[in-house]
Amino acid sequence: MKKLVATLLAAAMAMSLLTGCSGGNSGGNETASTTAATTAAAKEETTAAAAETTAAETEAETPDPDTIAVMVPPVTGDYPELMEKWIAEYTADHPWITVDLTNTSWNENPDKISTMALSGEAPDIVMNDFKMLGTLVEMGVAVNVADYMDPEALADYDQNALDYLTLEGTLYALPLYMTIQALGGNKAMMEAAGADVEKIQTEGWTWDEFLEIIKNGTVKDQTWGLTFASAGSSTKDFVNIFGVAAGINNDFTPSLKYAYTSENMKNLLSTVETLVSSGYMPNYGVEAGQRLVMLQTGQTMVTGKAMPLFESNVKNNIAALADGSALEGTVEDLEYVFLPVPTLENVQPACYGIVDCLIPCRNQNSTDEHLKNVCDFLNFLTSGERIAEVANQVYLPAVCESGRKAQEGTVLDQSDANAAASERCLGLVIAPPTGVTTEQSANADTIMTEVIVPKFQALIAGETTADDMYQAICDAAFAAFGEDGCETGFFTY
Amino acid sequence: MKKKFRIKRDDIDGYLFILVALVIFSVFTIYPVISAVITSFQNYKPFGSEWVQFDNYKTALSNSLFYKSIKNTAVYTLLTVPFSLVIAFVVALLIMPFKKKTQSLFKALYYIPAVASGVATSVVWLWIYDSSPSGLFNQLMKFLHLPMQNWLASSKTAMLSLIIMSLLNGQGSSIIIYIAALLGIDTSYFEAADIDGASFLQKVRYIVLPLCKPTTLFLLVTGIINSFQVFQNAYMMTGGGPDNNTTMIGLLIFNNAFVYGKYGLACAQGVLLTIIIAGLTAIQFRVAGDDVEY
Repeated sequence: MKKLVATLLAAAMAMSLLTGCSGGNSGGNETASTTAATTAAAKEETTAAAAETTAAETEAETPDPDTIAVMVPPVTGDYPELMEKWIAEYTADHPWITVDLTNTSWNENPDKISTMALSGEAPDIVMNDFKMLGTLVEMGVAVNVADYMDPEALADYDQNALDYLTLEGTLYALPLYMTIQALGGNKAMMEAAGADVEKIQTEGWTWDEFLEIIKNGTVKDQTWGLTFASAGSSTKDFVNIFGVAAGINNDFTPSLKYAYTSENMKNLLSTVETLVSSGYMPNYGVEAGQRLVMLQTGQTMVTGKAMPLFESNVKNNIAALADGSALEGTVEDLEYVFLPVPTLENVQPACYGIVDCLIPCRNQNSTDEHLKNVCDFLNFLTSGERIAEVANQVYLPAVCESGRKAQEGTVLDQSDANAAASERCLGLVIAPPTGVTTEQSANADTIMTEVIVPKFQALIAGETTADDMYQAICDAAFAAFGEDGCETGFFTY
Repeated sequence: MKKKFRIKRDDIDGYLFILVALVIFSVFTIYPVISAVITSFQNYKPFGSEWVQFDNYKTALSNSLFYKSIKNTAVYTLLTVPFSLVIAFVVALLIMPFKKKTQSLFKALYYIPAVASGVATSVVWLWIYDSSPSGLFNQLMKFLHLPMQNWLASSKTAMLSLIIMSLLNGQGSSIIIYIAALLGIDTSYFEAADIDGASFLQKVRYIVLPLCKPTTLFLLVTGIINSFQVFQNAYMMTGGGPDNNTTMIGLLIFNNAFVYGKYGLACAQGVLLTIIIAGLTAIQFRVAGDDVEY
């Protein structure tokens, strides 16, 4: 009897272990449950309203109930709240749909997507930048959006933005916005260093002019001329943004050859080597969160990566001086200027742009009917007033006609000069060539993470040379794409 | 005459007792291991994997980063495991003379880092190793009039930084196990040594060390296994950089599986890691385990 009791107790303990796992899961989906409840409530209200129509009509027209799972990071500060609002709006019009929303952090987002996709349990809609598409297509979880959407609805989106989301002629996501990433600066400090800021914003600057200005703006033990966040994964931003300075706007050239083995890259690496040894920028890895703090507190004159929306961050911080919650050492009269990336000799001015997008994913529950619902909800989120609200918050024009129409009349709290600089930079963005294969895209991503980023960190720390790094990239790229698949000369777009 | 195999009532009770553990072990250990071995021969996709025979193994074995990560892990193991054992043994010896309450206090203090979340501890260490002038270690360097260091972003100091973090962070369990082993030594040995006029170091050399050998072997084997599986430190602190100088095999497997979606390749690397660990463990038992009884 005692043994039986002991066995039962042991079994109970083991079961509690399993229950613990399952409990953790539901805890993690707390937000999702809350949203599901919210949308269910909205659905009930709508159902009551719908009851006014005849029962027979409703029965004939209402499709089967369906649940759409969405996982998004905080695209804007209040994105979780906005999503709740939009879900309620959508489910009011589509009472058979329930939306499970999971909010995640920017840091966790990519790994969560990969892990869930690999287990066949990807959320129906996830958010990331376009560079993740290759991996999702390789996994077999990406969905051809055009299969489940009306051509008229697709025609709403700018082709340039859709090109980013197209691999081998197939569209795998819908764009949220096209963001431009370049540099930002302290106007007063730059002018004191001899810069004609207005000219730089409207006409761009050469690499030599840039070096001269950051040299003049460097004050030993007080202010760096340039601080670029380069610690950890932000090294990739350094490569992408300054790659544009050397004429590398995408991983592949227009003739679909790998671009980081080109003469352009060689020039860029030599230039960065000179920049690092100049003493005008820190030779240690600056964390992403530090760069704007350093700009706002006068520890650097120019910073990167920077976006137009930093103007809002700077203004909010200055306003926070009133209640004492601003950063310690805030420069009270800081005027933020959005700056293009300087260009090397023989390179046409350009700007690094990426498209952040919502990606529909296939999972174990996916049927054609379900995917149609998913793509319809996806289109709802990335068009009209919804996307206008997001675009306004990131100080960018929407990349679809309906979004731009909804943005009309909106006045952004942005200086004219920064607005003009943003507009100019947006016009300089060059979309990736559309013929890139999924395998090329996935291999390029691997080389970036396994070779370029680590070597670049070593270059910034002064522990490798430009030549060694270039050789390491060539070795990896030749192995992945073959020598014929890599550009080794100088190229332009 | 051959004895007939019969299951008795007591046997059934015994099997029932181990059944629960066996089921859990099968579901959470045996099944994943078998599944990983199978997946290592596939180009894994959630909706229809393809058999690729030994392609994943060929890719793993022809990738220079795989060897670099093994080398990094071996260096990390060689420098952390022996020093960890020495630190734990010395601290356990220092704690032993105290009364039981004081011993418990020290044991609790040393065990606190093991209870704290690894991620939270890493965040604290990130601040300590901050390469900017405001980092704690750099402030110390400044105070000592030494040049500031790029602790986690320089290949000269990144691995060392991870090793120091590991040595200062995780000795609690080993100390407790060593104290348990020390308490298990019969006091008559020490009394006899006192009569013979043995010094403290002689007692350690001729009594404590030999009688703690099973414990040392256990800690050595589990330490090397854990060290070869190290992932969190590199993931949180350096991301494997700079120049992949802190990319451990565990981090490489994680990246292949969950960043690049190459699950089959990750499983193949996992199987290779298992073989390496099993080989090292066998060598340790062969070299040091002959005269050890449990």
